[in-house]
Amino acid sequence: MMRFATLLKHPADWMTGHDAETSVVLTSRVRLARNLAQSPFPGWARKKERQAVRDSLQGKVESLPGMKDGFSHELSELEPLQKQVLVERHLISREQAARNEGSGSVVNRKQTLSLMINEEDHLRIQAIRPSLQLREAYKLAHAIDQRLEGVVDFAVDAKLGYLTACPTNLGTGMRASAMLHLPGLVLSDQIGPVLKGISKLGLAVRGLYGEGTESLGNLYQISNQSTLGETEEEILDRLTKVIGDVARYETQARAKLVAEDPIMVRDRIGRAAGNLTYAHIITSKEALNHLSMLRLGADLDFMPSSLVEICDRLFMETQPAHLQWRAGKKLQPEARDIIRAQMIREHLHSSMPPAIDITGKES
Amino acid sequence: MKCDSCQEKATVFYTQVSDGKLKKFVLCEACAQEKGITSPDGLLMAEELLGGSPPPNQPIGPFPAVAQEDCRACGFTLEDFRKVGRLGCPQCYEAFSQEIIQRLPSMHKAASHKGYIPEGLVKQQAIRSELTSLSTDLERAISEERFEDAAALRDRISNLEKKEEGVASL
Repeated sequence: MMRFATLLKHPADWMTGHDAETSVVLTSRVRLARNLAQSPFPGWARKKERQAVRDSLQGKVESLPGMKDGFSHELSELEPLQKQVLVERHLISREQAARNEGSGSVVNRKQTLSLMINEEDHLRIQAIRPSLQLREAYKLAHAIDQRLEGVVDFAVDAKLGYLTACPTNLGTGMRASAMLHLPGLVLSDQIGPVLKGISKLGLAVRGLYGEGTESLGNLYQISNQSTLGETEEEILDRLTKVIGDVARYETQARAKLVAEDPIMVRDRIGRAAGNLTYAHIITSKEALNHLSMLRLGADLDFMPSSLVEICDRLFMETQPAHLQWRAGKKLQPEARDIIRAQMIREHLHSSMPPAIDITGKES
Repeated sequence: MKCDSCQEKATVFYTQVSDGKLKKFVLCEACAQEKGITSPDGLLMAEELLGGSPPPNQPIGPFPAVAQEDCRACGFTLEDFRKVGRLGCPQCYEAFSQEIIQRLPSMHKAASHKGYIPEGLVKQQAIRSELTSLSTDLERAISEERFEDAAALRDRISNLEKKEEGVASL
């Protein structure tokens, strides 16, 4: 079985290997909610019942093809810091991190599949792919679902589809979402109307960590709201189309900014690069916002393109739990801000010339 | 609501019409089982609790009170659902179907499922719930000495059981 340290040492496969495809859409995620037909939902079950469900599911999930040699633990076996790291990697939800006995997490080696046992539902199957690949992510999750239905009696109704703890997940039990980096729409003040348009289409927009979180680093998640009354394909097609449109607006907004106000854009990128390269104290929020600008600079070829991948890694690794895990101890926010700045400087010094000539493009 | 027999949470509801008067009592799962109230023989229990025997041929059995307040499978209440917006178990969808169906249009595109469905599982679950209701009928037929009905029911049950095995082995 994979150890927690091993999981952490390797970035997930969807965090590496960037190209033009990931300049706006970073990742695509699909999760399926499933429940056992004969057991109360985790939120209402007694501890013993929850334990029994976890005992029966964890082994079945571990032995699935592709899940062997993965990471598999009961939540009670993990320290609070480890759980927080898994939340930052989107491998477990914030809701699940609050759970202990009777809740389990199984993640494959590549970190493309993550199964949450006894979160809000008995089972949540999640698949993550880089860039806009919702259909591919669904295929991965669906394959696991079909394997499991041969050995598990899932609660399903001919009219209502899959039965879930919350009726908002009924039917397909599918929530598909993509993470988008939208600095162009933010800088050109178009983000408001775009977000409004998205929610008018019956889709949800959230910040970095889902429900109720604010948008940091110009990162937004777009997902389907309705899970009942449409086929999986219809939901995925609609989402893919809308997300593709938003990605195009973003690309157009970037091009327009560069054409109309190049000095402002270069100034923002240059200041972000300066802060990141020379700061000695930096908060998580400040780091995310500067990294967002630096990533934009790399996408626009103002900066070396190798920085895109470095920015994405730093997005993840400078977050509080990842940082403390690396440091090997719990740290006060002030101490974290110092280590964060140091880590960013180290990563950037190797990929950026000490003096950045951001006017070079014009000559 | 507390059990009429002990102080536990009541999950089984009885309603009886006797001589034009409505009588109700509530029990917890344990007391209901102990007194055999989950079977038609619960009649005896009804007599014990209500005093006097019910008129003959009056159908009596555990059936939901007018608007069912609790899920029989897990004890979750309609009030709980209204408070937290989540349900107690898959069977709650049947227990609170009216309330849930009312809410679906504000949450979803449409009220019925169009997506992927594991055919085998759906068939199996439909067969299983039919089997449960047939066995209840069978017990009643036996206790009422309707042996021809009972024989017919037994045949239907054994046919269904064969069918269930067939579906399960798909």
